[in-house]
Amino acid sequence: MTPRPKPRPAEERLRRLLVMLPWLMERGEVPVSEVAARFALTEDEVVLDLELIAMCGLPPFVDELIDVFVDDGVIVVGVPRLFTRPLRLNSVEAFELLASGRAAMELPGADEQGPLARGLAKLATALGEDDTAGVRIDLDRPPLLDRLAAAATASEELLIGYWSASRDETTERRIVPRQVFADRGEWYVSADDDRSGTVRTFRADRVLSAEGTGRIVAPSDAPLPTPGAWFDDESVRRAVIRLAPAARWVIERYPVDQVSPPNRRGWVTVRVPVASEQWLVRTLLRLGPDAELVEPAEWRTDVAAAAGLVLARYRRS
Amino acid sequence: MTDRVERLTNLLALLLETREPLSLVQIAGQMESQYPDGQSARRAAFERDKAALRDIGVPIEQEIVPGGEYAGQTRYWIDRGRYELRGLELDDDEARALQVAMAATRPGSTSGQEALWKLGAGALDRSAAISAVLPDLPELPVLREAVAQRVAVTFGYRDVAREVDPWGLLLRDGFWYLVGFDHARGERRTYRIDRIEGEVSMIAGRTFERPDGFDPRDALPADPKQIGAVDEVPTARVRIDAPRAAAAEADLGEARVAIRHPDGAIDVDVPCANLPAFRSWLIGFLEHAEVIEPADVRDHVIAWLESVAS
Repeated sequence: MTPRPKPRPAEERLRRLLVMLPWLMERGEVPVSEVAARFALTEDEVVLDLELIAMCGLPPFVDELIDVFVDDGVIVVGVPRLFTRPLRLNSVEAFELLASGRAAMELPGADEQGPLARGLAKLATALGEDDTAGVRIDLDRPPLLDRLAAAATASEELLIGYWSASRDETTERRIVPRQVFADRGEWYVSADDDRSGTVRTFRADRVLSAEGTGRIVAPSDAPLPTPGAWFDDESVRRAVIRLAPAARWVIERYPVDQVSPPNRRGWVTVRVPVASEQWLVRTLLRLGPDAELVEPAEWRTDVAAAAGLVLARYRRS
Repeated sequence: MTDRVERLTNLLALLLETREPLSLVQIAGQMESQYPDGQSARRAAFERDKAALRDIGVPIEQEIVPGGEYAGQTRYWIDRGRYELRGLELDDDEARALQVAMAATRPGSTSGQEALWKLGAGALDRSAAISAVLPDLPELPVLREAVAQRVAVTFGYRDVAREVDPWGLLLRDGFWYLVGFDHARGERRTYRIDRIEGEVSMIAGRTFERPDGFDPRDALPADPKQIGAVDEVPTARVRIDAPRAAAAEADLGEARVAIRHPDGAIDVDVPCANLPAFRSWLIGFLEHAEVIEPADVRDHVIAWLESVAS
């Protein structure tokens, strides 16, 4: 038996109706199934809500202000009088549209004269943006990124030279790029990786060379990591670190499980996923006296050893 | 008892269509038996509906009758001009392009989906081969509004209450920045938005002019190692070992290479005005890089590492 769907709150139903009605009124007749798919509802929900709205109107409630009925799986909307236009955008929606559009214009393959650029210009005008200086997005791309993105779109196999930070060596590998994304100031490429036989995510700026092998390879069906959440897996080990106020940027830049309230000196204690110990070592070297590793305690020796290795170089010369 | 959606819709229709502001008594009268009879129950139900409509973004205006028989009574209406989305006629391909853009940058966003529906676009696709994750901060929508309307804002930053003319927002290197004119300091400043403390509020009536030709990208050096540099940009000479030399050169540009050593190592001249940013960049190379000069920068790096090694 399928579980009964949860009752939807009245606000949510009305909100959906207010975007659905203007769209329906412009079209006149639309199959219920199409409306359901477009507005992320079940067909029953669409019919229920539209039948309800057909009873609404103005006093004395005899005239049908919203002339809508369902006939043989098709929604039919008569001459509209009410709710012909959608509600204005609120400030969050306005920001998200503008920022998304501007960011997409910075992605490889964006067309300066295309429909996105045109739609964005109309949106900016409607939002009172008199130029593009109000909201700017810089997604500086490493030299080979466009090549990787093109390969991802075409399922093209590449031979790449890759510098691995964790092993500090350059390797050659065959990859079939599947997705390319920017996250927290870096670009990444997730690809079917010949060497490991799985999907791996590479830092695009560490791809030192990329050449097409001339083969088009059907992408595997192995799941891809989700940009934004991809190095945040639950199976990954955790570290607990104390951070000085000057090191708080770590909380914004990397995913953290927990942040304690600041103590009297403004230090906070955070719990962070550590996908690679090398990453943690580097980060702690960068933070220097502004951070203390609480646990796992055994990594403290590794951090000190890494610092010692760099220092040895200065003492030698 | 009427369904709540029905009552909300009827209230919305009534307030949109009315020619004059309506009091709660008039509203309840017009809507016949949809609101409870008892005065306090009626008021409570109406307040709940009003809050629900405002919550979904409906601007409900209200005024208090200044004099006469109904002095002190509150009356309500909706200004159609403020209610409706206007002046944004998108062609189908433009709406679809914004939908693709949203899918590539905020795939799971419910407010983004809501915005797309209002524009006549469809359901948000959840995956895109080429995408960018945009950091989300609660301060961004109000800051954008203030930038567009040229209204000053106030917020806390480094324990100080600021009054700032917001000139523009910039996402760079994964962080959102606000560039604007700080009133107390009398000069242009750049703020990391994730470090803003507490709420950002607009200061009603405090409008400003933005300098001609302003671009937030110019306010912030593209290279964080140059933040704080004035005219003469101080640089440090850094030796980078052969295995990392090619990547470093690709990052910095050929012009920064001062010496090429026979073993493949290179010496590069790198801006170091912003010492923390310089240090962070340097440490990325671990033992494969070394500051050659100046001596004070070299000593600083040594002292920093010693604090960790001990």
